[in-house]
Amino acid sequence: MTNILNAILVNQSINPSNGGDTKPFFNISSDGKVKPKEYKGKLLPSRIFGSPIEYAKDLKKDVVSIGKAAKGQANDYELGRINDLAMKAGSLGLAAYLFVKNPLKLSKAMEIAGFGTFFASMALWPKLAIQAPLKARTGVDIHQKYIDSQGRKKMLFQDPQYVLTDLYSKEDLEKMGDKLKVSKNLPDRDNFIKQRAQKTALQGNTLWMMTAGVATPVMSALACNGLEKPINSIIEKVDIASSTRAVKNIDKQGLFAKIKNYFASKSLDKFISQNADKQMSDKLISDIASRLGARANSANVQSAIAEELKALKNTVKIDESFITNALKDRMPALNEVQKNALNQAIEHGQIKQISSILSRAANVSQVEQRNLAKEFEQILTSAKQTMEKPSVSQVADKIKALQSNVTNFANKKGILDRFISARVGDKSGTYIANQWGKVGDKLIKSLKLSGKELKAVSEGNIEIVLDKLSTLSANDKQYEKVVQELMKLIGDYETKTSSAFTSQIKGTAQSVCNAASEEMKANGFTKLADIVSNAAKKGTVENVININAAERISGAQSSFYRLLQSLDLFKGMNNGTLNTKISEVLKANGQAADDAAVGKIVEACKKVLMSATTTDYVEKLKSSGFNLSEGEYKTVMKVLFDSEADSAIEKSLKNSLGADKAKDALKGFKAYKREFMDKVANWQNGITPELSRCTVDGVTNGANAVERNNLAGKPVGNMIKDIAKKTYNSNKWLKIFGITMIALTAVTITATLLLGRKSKVEKEAEVQQKANG
Amino acid sequence: MVNSVGIQSKNPNKLNMTSFGKADKKSQCENHDTLLYEEKKKHPITTGLKIQADKFINACTKYPAKGLKGSKNSNFYEFLTMGMVPYLVGSGMMVAVFNLASKFFNTADAVSASKLGKKMGIGVLFYGLAKTFSKKLVETPVNMKYGIDVNLPYKKVINELPEKDNLDNLVTHEYHKAYESVDFPRWDLFYNNDSFGTERNSYYKKVGKKMGIAEEDLDNADQKVKPLIKEKLVKTKLFSTLSSYLWAATGVGIAMQKPWENLKLNPVNTKGRYFNLVKDFGKDFVESCKQFVNNNSKATRYAGRILLGSAIAMTLLGNFSTLFDFNKYRGNKPQASTSLIDETKEKVVC
Repeated sequence: MTNILNAILVNQSINPSNGGDTKPFFNISSDGKVKPKEYKGKLLPSRIFGSPIEYAKDLKKDVVSIGKAAKGQANDYELGRINDLAMKAGSLGLAAYLFVKNPLKLSKAMEIAGFGTFFASMALWPKLAIQAPLKARTGVDIHQKYIDSQGRKKMLFQDPQYVLTDLYSKEDLEKMGDKLKVSKNLPDRDNFIKQRAQKTALQGNTLWMMTAGVATPVMSALACNGLEKPINSIIEKVDIASSTRAVKNIDKQGLFAKIKNYFASKSLDKFISQNADKQMSDKLISDIASRLGARANSANVQSAIAEELKALKNTVKIDESFITNALKDRMPALNEVQKNALNQAIEHGQIKQISSILSRAANVSQVEQRNLAKEFEQILTSAKQTMEKPSVSQVADKIKALQSNVTNFANKKGILDRFISARVGDKSGTYIANQWGKVGDKLIKSLKLSGKELKAVSEGNIEIVLDKLSTLSANDKQYEKVVQELMKLIGDYETKTSSAFTSQIKGTAQSVCNAASEEMKANGFTKLADIVSNAAKKGTVENVININAAERISGAQSSFYRLLQSLDLFKGMNNGTLNTKISEVLKANGQAADDAAVGKIVEACKKVLMSATTTDYVEKLKSSGFNLSEGEYKTVMKVLFDSEADSAIEKSLKNSLGADKAKDALKGFKAYKREFMDKVANWQNGITPELSRCTVDGVTNGANAVERNNLAGKPVGNMIKDIAKKTYNSNKWLKIFGITMIALTAVTITATLLLGRKSKVEKEAEVQQKANG
Repeated sequence: MVNSVGIQSKNPNKLNMTSFGKADKKSQCENHDTLLYEEKKKHPITTGLKIQADKFINACTKYPAKGLKGSKNSNFYEFLTMGMVPYLVGSGMMVAVFNLASKFFNTADAVSASKLGKKMGIGVLFYGLAKTFSKKLVETPVNMKYGIDVNLPYKKVINELPEKDNLDNLVTHEYHKAYESVDFPRWDLFYNNDSFGTERNSYYKKVGKKMGIAEEDLDNADQKVKPLIKEKLVKTKLFSTLSSYLWAATGVGIAMQKPWENLKLNPVNTKGRYFNLVKDFGKDFVESCKQFVNNNSKATRYAGRILLGSAIAMTLLGNFSTLFDFNKYRGNKPQASTSLIDETKEKVVC
């Protein structure tokens, strides 16, 4: 017996199976009696979310356990906890990899959200769907945790054959017994309660195992789905705030930029030392240019850097030794006259003349002399070019100066790009993308499409949209609400992209580009300086920044206005003002204004707003989808772009924005229509006039394709189709998994009502004990 | 099947799939647990598969039925075994979340959704495979060098308590691993086991010899070897666990690469289509591995290399830590037993 005891004690002292207390679990009294220590375990308070301090403490213990395990000294409990920690660390590692891999901020954020929601769902599902209802009804907390004498935290009911129900206080046990409906006044009531609690917990834990597999991924996916919009909105706000701050401090170099510059400079030093003796060949120049220009994100800058590098040349003196070295054994013998002539040619540095003199000195026929002269010229030119090319080490300082200039410029340009992109960038999470999303959501809701209609629209059935827009415009209240919401969003967009914003872009671009240009000029890099600044010159970095920003702003604005124009058109159709307008235009053009003619124009107007693209406008809507005659084209354009907005729009605007702002908004709307008329409707292609033969009230041919595309905006039909597609897919997915989740939750909570009930045997036992008692 | 004086037979009870989930009449007379050493030696793959299948069937049928009834015979093993259900169902559900709805989408959206869906499906598959098989990279060398098979299964005989609906068939089986607990390994199963030799201590002597303990020091091999085995077990479990999650993450990372997007899971109904599917799968796997460590984006390339590198490093660290005896190389003996009790004095255990 002593041996066995000793073995146990020794084992425990060498390898204490605990999380904190390393003392052996026994007392040896002075009289030689060995007694187990008093049990110090206790129940832990039950919470939905654990305290962060406790998490940190546990994490510290787990890290210590890893150290112990690496020495081969951990126990089962510690290895179990290490497993849980490793699972989380592995998942976090994966989330980190996917975070880096995904280019978009939203996707990056969703990877982290996915990691978080998965583990949160794993923990929350049993707590919310099983533990809480079961505890409320029976008083049994299936996730009750306890801490034992060795500091190990475990679930009280995890092993049904080893449940430390003794840890419950008498009072708690009695309360639990009351909820479990164990008869009062039983002589052995405590035991009855403990058995029932154990049984209830076993049932609850089994239900947890049976449901967690479906619940966890679905709950996590639904949570991610719900988090997408808030995360997008957070990204937008953070991006706008941080990019605004960065632009304000554009001249201060941040720590991140300093680190990047440091590594870029180290990397260039290494490159220079590796290639120090190499000549600046075209390939090497191209390599250096792409290396230096990569951060500026501009092909033009890269080409200018290459030009600057090509301009770096050694001075080559053309003298007799140069000629002799180049021609070697082909150098002909010269008489005095020829020598004098050669010296004169050398003085002028004219290779052609030198070659000619040398060819004449060679003992060949006159015909051959001409070829020889060409050959010599080639050899000498090539030799000169080769000698002119410096080695990398010779121009190392210039390369470093170039890098310094370009890097400084690229850092600042990067900040400006971010400032613009956060607002009008063509990607998810930007202000414009989120604003567009809101417009789409509001519109699709107001159209009140059924599931089937949504599917049909998502497949391109625009007729339904037309019907719905007619219905919408017939309902004054609903119509006004949509216009108001749309105008609120347009108003907000216009504030954010107002002239103050464009001025700020222009001003910052100018100061950044000018400063960089001056710095480059000071180092003698004039070609590079020319490609960086000058807003008016096409292709310069400054010009491209301004144009790109303006295009993005105008493109989105046109799409908003095109939508507003569609609502205006349908209202006009509904209250009859559109027909009047069309009749007037037809009459003014000397055309018949009968119902058929008016009807055709109405249909054409609808179609144009719903689906016309820049290409259709190039062909003046003669293409197969529209088939308009010249007269009809002019009428449609005049009705759409040379007319006042319907009074209903004006009224809605006044109600939503107030009189002054409504006036401004209408002014903006009118200005857009006029610009469209000038640059798109009146645009005439000089190269293929047969396609762009007719204009409405004048001729423009200066507008480029991008400008026209931006003014045309997104066809409303396409816009609604895209939103419908997204909404339909999202609804379908939500329907499948939302219903799955609801059904599972309902079944699980209902099932908890059946758990912990007294069996017939238990009832009989109670009755019997009562009788015996 | 029971031998006298606790000697275990070389031919333990064969795994019988037909008896899974049912009370085994023949086993009524069994009274002790059996190490499945011979069985595993003969059929290294099928033994494990049969055990997993038995556990899974029970986890889906018998154990939940017992658990939901609140049976007094339900135990921790059953609770842990039922953990397979959420693991496997959850994996399937994860794939479903990304694939099930796409059949209702239009063709273009379905194609686009299926690209991600395929990656997620393959990700779930690779997670399981990488996690399972990477453990072998740490465990197998330990088994080969020391003869310590951390996964060596044994069949445990459970004598259940009679219940209202079951008064007769009270003997059931559980499949455990002899070394599943580092606190309480089933040392007893290795004594007198004629699979390892004729002596009582044959197994421990064999392991002791492989650990480099001199023959003359192996009289009480079990006493000497048990602490050393424990140490190896802890290290093996630690590094196989740590590396397995890194490999699993690497597996999912590989599954997230572009080449999988074009994998045709429903190949055209032609001769040799399954061969082509396997061939395409292999090709995409190779391409994805290349892309994982050689992505066009510098950050992604390094992230992939770090993930793969850390998985490889953890496995190698595990091999190094488990296969080299630092005590021996430092010239130290394993820690000697230190008696906390003065054995010259009489003790009374209260």
